[in-house]
Amino acid sequence: MNGLDPAKKLRILSVSPSQAQLWDRFRNGDREALGSLYRQYIDDLYHYGMHFCRDEERVKDCLQDLFRDMWAERDHISAEIHNVRYYLLSSLRRRLLRSLQKDRRHKNRIIAHSFDLEFTQPQESTIIKNESSQEKAIKVHKAIALLSRRQREVIYLRFFQELSYAEIAQLMSLQVDSVYNLISKAIGLLKKSMAMLLILL
Amino acid sequence: MTPKDYRYYTARDFALDEEFQQWILHPGIKSNAFWESWITQHPEKKETIETAMTLIRTVRFRSYSLAEKDKGELWDAIWDKIGSDEMELETEWPGIKSKKKWTTLSKYAAAVLLILVTTLALWKMTVHKTAIPRSFTVQTRAGEIKKVMLPDSSEVLMNANSRLVYHQKDAHAREVWLEGEAYFDVKHTVDQKAFLVHTYDNISIDVLGTRFNVNSFGKRISVVLQQGKIKLSIAENQGETQLYLKPGEVVNYNKESGNYAKSNTDTSQALSWTHGRLIMDHYSLNDVASFMKNIFDKNVIIQHKKLLQDSVSGSMPIVYNADTMLMQFSKVFEVQFKQHNKDEIWVQKQ
Repeated sequence: MNGLDPAKKLRILSVSPSQAQLWDRFRNGDREALGSLYRQYIDDLYHYGMHFCRDEERVKDCLQDLFRDMWAERDHISAEIHNVRYYLLSSLRRRLLRSLQKDRRHKNRIIAHSFDLEFTQPQESTIIKNESSQEKAIKVHKAIALLSRRQREVIYLRFFQELSYAEIAQLMSLQVDSVYNLISKAIGLLKKSMAMLLILL
Repeated sequence: MTPKDYRYYTARDFALDEEFQQWILHPGIKSNAFWESWITQHPEKKETIETAMTLIRTVRFRSYSLAEKDKGELWDAIWDKIGSDEMELETEWPGIKSKKKWTTLSKYAAAVLLILVTTLALWKMTVHKTAIPRSFTVQTRAGEIKKVMLPDSSEVLMNANSRLVYHQKDAHAREVWLEGEAYFDVKHTVDQKAFLVHTYDNISIDVLGTRFNVNSFGKRISVVLQQGKIKLSIAENQGETQLYLKPGEVVNYNKESGNYAKSNTDTSQALSWTHGRLIMDHYSLNDVASFMKNIFDKNVIIQHKKLLQDSVSGSMPIVYNADTMLMQFSKVFEVQFKQHNKDEIWVQKQ
């Protein structure tokens, strides 16, 4: 069962030469390359930022600083960036954390609402028809809400941003094992919720 | 890691497996081939795999999106900040002394701003094609060198404590303003686009595809041509003098007296810093002092004038760390460098 590794090969492919070239061009002071990076990643970065703190102004401020500092510091940024997405997300995360730490009012808010999972019905169709199934759906959502913020963030980074376990570990300052455990527990919980969802169909 | 045996995987295990996830999230030719054949070989696992698939696919996240208009505005704000950062570098530069030069520079800054604003407007109109702003400033700090690629692909290696302003007035001219020292490798353009190097001391260099070094540290400006051909314009009271340089020639210009002389030189010595070496030819502690001032902004004071009689010849690596350089010099000159106060380093006999 070994000798597979399609994921590893995919990972290498995902750093296409054009991506590496774009990165090099940016580091050499090509402003057009910075523009391309912006257009390529702004949606996903904004999405992550909003899930992280739900504070549009803060997210925009951090994004603005991120791209501006990236440009100013381009000579000191490593050429060996294997995944530009990872680099940008981890930089945005640090900035958001720093900004939130300065502002204590937001401390409690972020824990409650971040990384909202929505559990969609596989066939995208008729799930919530009558009141009782709506009630059940709410129960499912409550079950999902039992996931910790960390679990939700890990799930998000893996399934939405498609970072590898290793990258997620680095980004969240965790051991790879811990990331694995977080996802494992989260998936266990999701599986239970899904069973409920299927019963109600 | 032990080889994976998918036969014993539960739905949860599959959903946790990076390779499996990758296939669900981004099916590819290879992963499709692998998983399809695996499922055919293990029909008893079909249901497990379907559950795992559903698990991964049903997770959705609330969508947040930025409107196109907001995206454009955010980008503009980023450019505004970058523009003002670079403008700040210009105004904070301490090396500009005379008021007259200052005014010309501010006029220039206004031009930069105008161009920047124009390009920003352009960017807004053409979302797919970013216009490259044709003006910017690059600066190196003490003890730092930088390689800069200009929009026309010309390369500039900037020595420490230097500043380069690039400006493209129109499609036919490329212009830079230099303070400090830089080595230029200018690309020849098909349409013979001019490349002008200005120093703030009455010297301009007109270039067509060539390699040369300009050093305007301290009291003199020294232009050394390695390859190609350049024209030097020296502004004088009576008008302008033009000088042509051939490879291997140097023009030394005295900023105070306005005197200048052309001579032959060993270009490898003038360019040695670009390879990280300092070539010393009858090098005295005075030369050490100006090196430390130019590159690290350190003031080395030689109290005992007797020490100036010694000179050395040879070469040493340039390390962009002031203490390391002083250590090397102290070995070569057999002296000691002592921090006398915050601003001064004094030289003592060993």
